[in-house]
Amino acid sequence: MSGATHKLCLLGDFGVGKTSLVARFVHSTFSDKYLTTVGVKVDSKQVALPGRAAVKLVIWDIAGRNALDALGRNYLRGAAALLLVADGTREDSLASALDLLMQSRSVVPGAIVTLAVNKFDLLDEWEVVPPVLVELRRSLPVFETSARTGEGVEAAFADLAGRLAS
Amino acid sequence: MGTSGSGQSPIAPADSVARPAPDAGPLERLRELLLAPEVRALVEVRGRLADLEASQQALARRLPGALEALQGEAETRRMAAALSAPVAQALGTAVRTRRQLLVDALFPVIGPLIRKSIAEALRNLVADLNAAIESSFTLRGLKWRIEAWRAGVPYAEVVLKHRLAYRIDHVFLIERASGRVLWHAAAPELAALDADAIAGMLTALGDFVQDSVGAGEGGGNLESATVGEHLVWIASGPAANLACFMRGAPPERLRSRLQERLEEVHARCADGWPEQGRPLPEWDGLLQPSALLSAGDAAAPATPPARLWPWILLLGLTACGLVAWLLGNHVWDTRIQALRARLAAQPGMIVGAIDSRPWRSLTVHGLIDPDAPPLDAGVVAAGLGGVVPTLALDGYVSTDDAVVARRAARLLAPPATVTLGVQQGVLRLEGSAPGAWLAAARERAGWIAGVARVDLAVQPQADPAAAALLELRGLARELEDIEVPFTEGDAPGPGADAQLAAIVERARRARVLAGQAGVDLVLESVGSNDETGGVEINRRVRAQRAQWLATALAARGIDGVRSTDVGSGRHRSAWLRLAIGDVP
Ligand SMILES: Nc1nc2c(ncn2[C@@H]2O[C@H](COP(=O)(O)OP(=O)(O)OP(=O)(O)O)[C@@H](O)[C@H]2O)c(=O)[nH]1
Ligand SMILES: [Mg+2]
Repeated sequence: MSGATHKLCLLGDFGVGKTSLVARFVHSTFSDKYLTTVGVKVDSKQVALPGRAAVKLVIWDIAGRNALDALGRNYLRGAAALLLVADGTREDSLASALDLLMQSRSVVPGAIVTLAVNKFDLLDEWEVVPPVLVELRRSLPVFETSARTGEGVEAAFADLAGRLAS
Repeated sequence: MGTSGSGQSPIAPADSVARPAPDAGPLERLRELLLAPEVRALVEVRGRLADLEASQQALARRLPGALEALQGEAETRRMAAALSAPVAQALGTAVRTRRQLLVDALFPVIGPLIRKSIAEALRNLVADLNAAIESSFTLRGLKWRIEAWRAGVPYAEVVLKHRLAYRIDHVFLIERASGRVLWHAAAPELAALDADAIAGMLTALGDFVQDSVGAGEGGGNLESATVGEHLVWIASGPAANLACFMRGAPPERLRSRLQERLEEVHARCADGWPEQGRPLPEWDGLLQPSALLSAGDAAAPATPPARLWPWILLLGLTACGLVAWLLGNHVWDTRIQALRARLAAQPGMIVGAIDSRPWRSLTVHGLIDPDAPPLDAGVVAAGLGGVVPTLALDGYVSTDDAVVARRAARLLAPPATVTLGVQQGVLRLEGSAPGAWLAAARERAGWIAGVARVDLAVQPQADPAAAALLELRGLARELEDIEVPFTEGDAPGPGADAQLAAIVERARRARVLAGQAGVDLVLESVGSNDETGGVEINRRVRAQRAQWLATALAARGIDGVRSTDVGSGRHRSAWLRLAIGDVP
């Protein structure tokens, strides 16, 4: 049944919604409560791909941070994919995500990357303006997501899975 | 790949934000785009920082003095409240960054605590062992005993082996770096679980532990973890870890076995690890829970055919039952013999048949003399396990000396001054007794059943009544001769006073003696005369003289004297006569 298994790490600042995105994707749930992640929470999900063998994602939801320490680098080891997460309502979280991406390069140089700008349902409060996103899209795939409504979540993960399978 | 090649360029130093390198990639340009306003803010902040530093140095100089100047409880308390949060946080930071310092400081406290908990654990182990050894007469205990006997090892060792039973639920071979599952096996009956997530968490946990303990590469590996009854042991290798999930108490040798197996896996993959999702077939043989369990236990003795032991057990139990039954009967029989001996030793008793059902009921048939000493119920029932014997006894006359003595005592009722003993049919009575009892005893003793001869050595006791009567009679004789002389008519002659005094003395004594002897006593004053004078005159004179004596005695305290005249006279005199009544 299964094709390969791939390790996927979520990276992003505190409270941007990493855990919420995983909960939405793996368990189809959402909670307004903010329980900050301590260390790592690992989940896994089989992703069906049209016309191809399914891919299993082992998803490492790493505690939010704006810089990678030794432990964080350890967590990243062997990751085939990174999902950067930023919070659209906090512009600084986007900077953190990009910082993290650059720091992660030394550990996982070959990992594929996707950026999720989260909390799309709060679009009115967004600080990240469209021109920035347009600029970003030239460098890497960017998805506007909402863990609350589920919008864009499946697409972001499916994009990663598809690129991993190929 | 989603990122362009420039994504792999080295991380730019912070300064490069202000002075972008000419060949900066698109990501660097993005950073500049995003951060330009922040750089301006940064310059401003630097200026403010310098001011702050200056004022901070001044504060640092003043702070100790200010703290020392704290006075009064309220002030101190406020300070403590204000400091509690930062101090707690500082402690937290210290735990993370200055661990060794804290460990050194806490060591003296932790040492005793650890020792105490070890002692506790040991105590529990001993309690476990004791329980097991005590329960050795349960079915399982018996089985273990048989096992120990067959294997020729101490029982306690077998108990320990079974008490330390454990089972392996899962075995994971995990790629060390990524935490991916290379191979996984579970005990057959277990529900499926998310092996990838578990292996990932385990790896993350290992990373976390290594990072926090901070002992550098190789040191501080996560080796085991417990959650409730579940236990994880992890053997670490350079490329992969082996994690074993268990329940129970595995032996320490399993740990080295895990390490050996992991080394073997590494050795076989020295030329490269298989592609992900393609485990090597020989891993099954090396790492399956069953393969980990059985190895090394081969040294254990071959177990007997499984179906044999119930029979051995049954046979053993039957034999035990038989032995117990025989033993019980034997014990009962010896107790009955003892009872027979005890009863036979009783005087005045002849023991016949003893009917009994072991440990249930018991009837003693036999003969008993009514004069036999009563049986002590305790003596009779001793050692019979609560069975109360029924006595079916008929009467007979015993010639046993002890019984004859009791019979003689009952029939003769000797006074306390007489001792009574029987020896070989000879009844010996000793001491002293009133004559009346002595006379009766002399008459009856020879008739008592079982008495062949009587040895009567009893002194008769003096009877105070008889003695008193005897003396009284003597007094009566004396008084007949003590006469009060008269000259003419009722005029007392010379020496009359002395005679009168002698009479008074004896009359008093006589009344006392009569009381002691229990007889009636009448005092009569008697008058007499000589041959001269006429009959009528003489009779009158005699009455006068008797009356004179009665009056004189009454004047001296002896009243109730009857005066009488006697027909034939002797002298011109009067005397006192004692009329003694019949002995009662
Ligand atoms: N409105 C809205 N709230 C969201 C969304 N995603 C997350 N949140 C809320 O944001 C808060 C933080 O979410 P988490 O998923 O815990 O954030 P995190 O990135 O895992 O945080 P750390 O574990 O601390 O790094 C929670 O209160 C969530 O309910 C979203 O798409 N829309
Ligand atoms: Mg989280």
